[in-house]
Amino acid sequence: MNMPEDEFVEKTFIYKFPTCTTNQEYVLEVPLKIPYGGNVKELMYRIMSSFKLPCYVESDLLQSLEHAIKTLTLEFYDEKAEKALEDTISGNLDIEDIIKNWEKTYKQKTAEYADPIGTTDEELFAAAYHKLVHSPSLEPILQAEHKFGRDVTEVIQMRDSHYEQLTQKQTEEMRVAVESLEAGSTEKSINEMAGRHFEEQSLLQGHWGSRVDALKLDQRRQYRNWIMRLLEEQQTNMLPTPVGSPILSMPPIRPALDNFVHSEEKNTAEYPILEESFTIHLGSQMKQMHNIRILTGDVLDFCRTKKSDSGMDPTPQRLQTALGLYSNDLCGLVLLSDNHLGSYSGITKELCSICQLTTEFHFPPIDEQLEKIREDVKDAVAWRQAHQREGNDSQTKRSTGSKSLQTGDVYITRHSNLAQVHVIFHMVVNDSLRSGEFFMLTRVFAKFTGDINSRHSVILGLRNILKTACCNDVTTLTIPILLVHEMSEDMTVAWCTKRAELVFKCVKGFMIEMASWGGAELKNLQFLVPKGMSEEVFGTLATMLPSIFRVSNPLVFKATSTPQTPKK
Amino acid sequence: MCPALLENEERCFGGMTFFAQSHPVEVCGSNGLPLTPNSITIYGKSQFLKTIHHPNLSTYLDIIRSKHERIVVVAEYNGDPLNSKKNLNTDDILKIAFQCLLGLRYMNKLGLVHRHLSPENILLNKSGNVQLYNFGLYFMTDCGKNVSFPIGYPKYTAPEVFLSSGVSSPKVDSWSLGMIIAELLLTKSIWSGVKLSQCLRKVLSLIHCETSVFERLAREINCYNIYKDLPDKVKEFVDCCLQIHPLKRKIPEELLKLPIFEKFLLQNEKEIEKNLYMNVIVRKMDELYYLWQLAGGDITVELKKQGLIRSRPPILSIPNLVILLGQMFGRRDTAGLFDLRVVKIPLDTLHQRLSHIPYIANYPWLTDQMRVQSQEELIDAASQLPLIIRERDTEYQFYRIVLYDRLLQVYPITREAIIEEAHKDIPPPVRGAVWAALLGITGDIQKYYDMIDKETPTHTDRQIEVDIPRCHQYSELLSSGAGHERLQRLLKAWVRNNPHYVYWQGLDSLTAPFLYLNFNNEARAFECLSKFIPKYLHKFFLKDNSAIIQEYLGKFSQIIAFHDPQLANHLRSINFVLELFAIPWFLTMFSHVFPLHKILHLWDKLLLGDSSFPLLVGLAILKQLRDSLLTSGFNECILLFSDLPEIDIELCVKDSMMMYQNTPPSITYRKHQFNQPKDINWLEPEPGTEKMPRICVDDFLDLLDNSPDRLIAVDIRNNIQFERGAVVGSINIPFTSVQLSLTHIETLGPHAKPLVENKNSIVVIIGPHDQNNALFADFLIKCGVVGVCSLQGGISALRMKSPNIIVAPR
Repeated sequence: MNMPEDEFVEKTFIYKFPTCTTNQEYVLEVPLKIPYGGNVKELMYRIMSSFKLPCYVESDLLQSLEHAIKTLTLEFYDEKAEKALEDTISGNLDIEDIIKNWEKTYKQKTAEYADPIGTTDEELFAAAYHKLVHSPSLEPILQAEHKFGRDVTEVIQMRDSHYEQLTQKQTEEMRVAVESLEAGSTEKSINEMAGRHFEEQSLLQGHWGSRVDALKLDQRRQYRNWIMRLLEEQQTNMLPTPVGSPILSMPPIRPALDNFVHSEEKNTAEYPILEESFTIHLGSQMKQMHNIRILTGDVLDFCRTKKSDSGMDPTPQRLQTALGLYSNDLCGLVLLSDNHLGSYSGITKELCSICQLTTEFHFPPIDEQLEKIREDVKDAVAWRQAHQREGNDSQTKRSTGSKSLQTGDVYITRHSNLAQVHVIFHMVVNDSLRSGEFFMLTRVFAKFTGDINSRHSVILGLRNILKTACCNDVTTLTIPILLVHEMSEDMTVAWCTKRAELVFKCVKGFMIEMASWGGAELKNLQFLVPKGMSEEVFGTLATMLPSIFRVSNPLVFKATSTPQTPKK
Repeated sequence: MCPALLENEERCFGGMTFFAQSHPVEVCGSNGLPLTPNSITIYGKSQFLKTIHHPNLSTYLDIIRSKHERIVVVAEYNGDPLNSKKNLNTDDILKIAFQCLLGLRYMNKLGLVHRHLSPENILLNKSGNVQLYNFGLYFMTDCGKNVSFPIGYPKYTAPEVFLSSGVSSPKVDSWSLGMIIAELLLTKSIWSGVKLSQCLRKVLSLIHCETSVFERLAREINCYNIYKDLPDKVKEFVDCCLQIHPLKRKIPEELLKLPIFEKFLLQNEKEIEKNLYMNVIVRKMDELYYLWQLAGGDITVELKKQGLIRSRPPILSIPNLVILLGQMFGRRDTAGLFDLRVVKIPLDTLHQRLSHIPYIANYPWLTDQMRVQSQEELIDAASQLPLIIRERDTEYQFYRIVLYDRLLQVYPITREAIIEEAHKDIPPPVRGAVWAALLGITGDIQKYYDMIDKETPTHTDRQIEVDIPRCHQYSELLSSGAGHERLQRLLKAWVRNNPHYVYWQGLDSLTAPFLYLNFNNEARAFECLSKFIPKYLHKFFLKDNSAIIQEYLGKFSQIIAFHDPQLANHLRSINFVLELFAIPWFLTMFSHVFPLHKILHLWDKLLLGDSSFPLLVGLAILKQLRDSLLTSGFNECILLFSDLPEIDIELCVKDSMMMYQNTPPSITYRKHQFNQPKDINWLEPEPGTEKMPRICVDDFLDLLDNSPDRLIAVDIRNNIQFERGAVVGSINIPFTSVQLSLTHIETLGPHAKPLVENKNSIVVIIGPHDQNNALFADFLIKCGVVGVCSLQGGISALRMKSPNIIVAPR
């Protein structure tokens, strides 16, 4: 409801009192703001002292002042109300409008008049799952998820190998055809062949695509039914061991495919993983504790479920993610991406393929999520145009004009089947496609303007991420410290330290600010350094951390029994 | 046979919750700082409600602000709502009306409007008495501005509320009461089963009514017969309420003057008189709430049980898109509806917890020495436990609260006893009052405070305005609008009341703990500040306070050297002067250094000590930093102090108490302290000797008499003088024999063995004149000898005071 700001009227308070010696009357006139917000007694004392009134009028003055303020205030309200009534009776105010507005407010804001909202399926399933993973059913659930996941992965690997075979065959065919261009084949026939190849490819793609989709759909349905059934059984007979998993009813996967497994995934341990952890304190008087970790690695390693050696057991990270999925401690990851929201190129494509390796049982599949976001982007663009800033800032102007996302905008996807994250914050870093090019751009930028500063859109986007995390109970967050995912040769040590310092300092500021946002405090903050960073540079960045954040005092137990200080 | 505690307790807690309106994205206030979240504004404003105690109003007990702008309100809930009662006769109804009006009149006197009056919010207890519930909702939300939902039950809301926005006057409550009473009288619900829009239309259509609204309503719901038979006086009352024109409608105070309430008023007066001595030993609801929480009660859990706090997993409501300007899209959020329901929580948990305590423990006996008889061994056993544990022990806190309550009732004659008890501990709920007692505050402080002008602009306003939004803002109380306003009033009042002083930055931090404890009692906060400053910070707030600060820091460095020569030597060697960090420590008595909850525990003890105690607190803090300091150079030290690491406050308090007891009082005497003890003749130290700690003759004699083993007297006169007469047991190290440049204690020879081995004793240098004493003391400190000080006035002063202790050694 909109209320007019500070309504008041000026009134004059008149006070008369007799003098002791003469017959004259003293008259005071004091301007009053009605309604009067302050303390009447204090006002009385102020009047007494500024007019130098004798003390014997004190109680009398107070009484008449109180009385005057009371009557004037009532008069003020009455007048206002009377005016409204008059307007209504005379028809100046539209009653129907008023009724409609009030009805709307009541319906939208109070539980009594709002349309009853039941618990949604989503919430029911969430509650069921959360309860089950915190019960002995945890293990079978994870097993089932893992098994389902393996099935999908196998089919996908099968698809990939078929695809590869076809491509090989076609390339060979094409090579032969081109070589014999003079002898026999014509340009036309080659074109025809290319067309046929393309058709074959699409056919294969369609075939496998529908097969994977069908499998996933089937799995999802089975899984969700199973979970609900499991909960029911657990509630009714308090079974310590859960009912059999739905795996048995699945069509067995041909064992012939086993040789496809374990072919890739061997190149991950190329670089040594460097990492260091700190516990820090923020705040000048009230100190907040946070854990901070700096480590090297590939950003998508947080998403990839690593295959355990046997391939039969789910990895421990999955356990962690399953337990936390519907809790108030979510894990988030900042992924730098482009504004195309597409699954066709760049890091988003890689992410999509990781997500699609297994079935998403809880949220819509990633492509559907992205589709939904594309719709929201339309709203956002409209909103941005509507709220075109009056400021002449060229950057805002440019960005408001565009039809797509801008640098610093963030879209968010939710996942239940990734290794260590639930929520991915995709921050748009620039108009071009790859984060590598973003680096190129910032480098050029750096040459002219001395690198990005704390007012850069990316930093503001980072702040929005932290704020969203805070408001939605994301308490573990991983941020690429250099705001790039890949190292390249032209990143000098100086550039790295400067960029890292900026990010450290800005994040520190945002975390201090966070205390006033009224959400969940960030408990664990991870700074991700691109893999391949040299040990020295990593060391520099790691030592920078405790100098920027105040590392909390370790509790030291002294071996000596005698206290050290002052005396004893 | 006494009943057990809390048996037949009819009172309950009522919990309700709502969401404050969140600010639109990224807006700043006029001062350029981010806007205070509405939940904090509500939190600050609602504190006032806790002070309202009236038999017909439900007492507010607690307001909790939790994550995501949620507010939880806890209030007394006594009885059942009016809409659950059936078959009330006219007399009962009139009594209800009368008591409602009493409650409303009291609210209006305080400037409150209910605005939410409905049968659900009128509670009737077993004896038929009325309490208005939820009466502060309109007030705490700043007339509904801080929440998005409308306040008021449509059917009972006065028509003008719908027609004009803005603040409502007390007359809207008269209307609501009229509607409620009319319904009761007609024994039929008005417009039952009518849709919301229809209901609103009906309320608004009443404004065209030319005759009695009551009559019209009666006809509308086919109850004209009942209406007809009602006594005229009753009709008159309802008509007075249900006046369409606010101008003609009466406010509750005027309604009470209607003839129909005459007999009720008389009866009410009699009852008040009768009850004056009836319920002296009924524990107050806020105390019970405090104990209930200690016994494991948690209002949020209760609300969750009843489904009033629905916890939707956060991952389900995270938005899809956040654009650069902070606007969110695709948020799947549904929470935030205002739910009127109240959860009623009986006191069972607490009753069980305290059931074995005899009833008489409620009101302990006050002896003629103005002491309270110590209750149980329990207290003694528990008092050995750490403070943190004692503060969470329900039973222990019950006894302590009862005890303090009794003592505070008859303060100031019990001041001595309060001080004694405060040495043990102070329970949090009474801390504000106990501190005031420790500082010796008496008299009509409210009047005195009212008389101080806090409005007229002064030239310090600007600075105060800048400082307040930076003062302990992590505290919800102090960061709220009400907190800022009150702090400003306090500071302005202090500046106005102390024209000889100026506002130094830091006064805000110093005021914060007092405001925090006395949030609803500015006068007491002010008086505490006014008493505290002369006691501990005499003359610190002079426009030119350099001499006082110099002296204070000088004393501090003496104390460091006295207790920890190694640290003193290190700081001296890296040229790290105390001015670099200690001024804010002492100027704010550490309130700028620590968070409020630590300050409270620190000041609990500080207030029991004299003005030298802070020096030892400072030393105790240094002691915790000692290891890092000793290994740090100048720059590291600067960094260390600029962002002080976490300090263990309980240890700090313990250390400072211990060192306070081990320090002869005369060592800490300052020229600029308030109330200098009469027994000490202040002697201006000779130039060049200010750095040396000095002990007065009385303290020396006291040590010599009572704990000679803690005293090592070093006589630095020459042999001949020493032979002629010296203090028994003193060591003679002639000053001339000392090579000052060689800072090795071994150079003093075998005499000095006790000095080397000294751990806990006080080394008193007795010499003919200060210059040499100072040089020698400096020498000893450099050698790392602890407890070095010099005797003021030397041997001659000793001879004058107590000639018989000076004897010839042989």
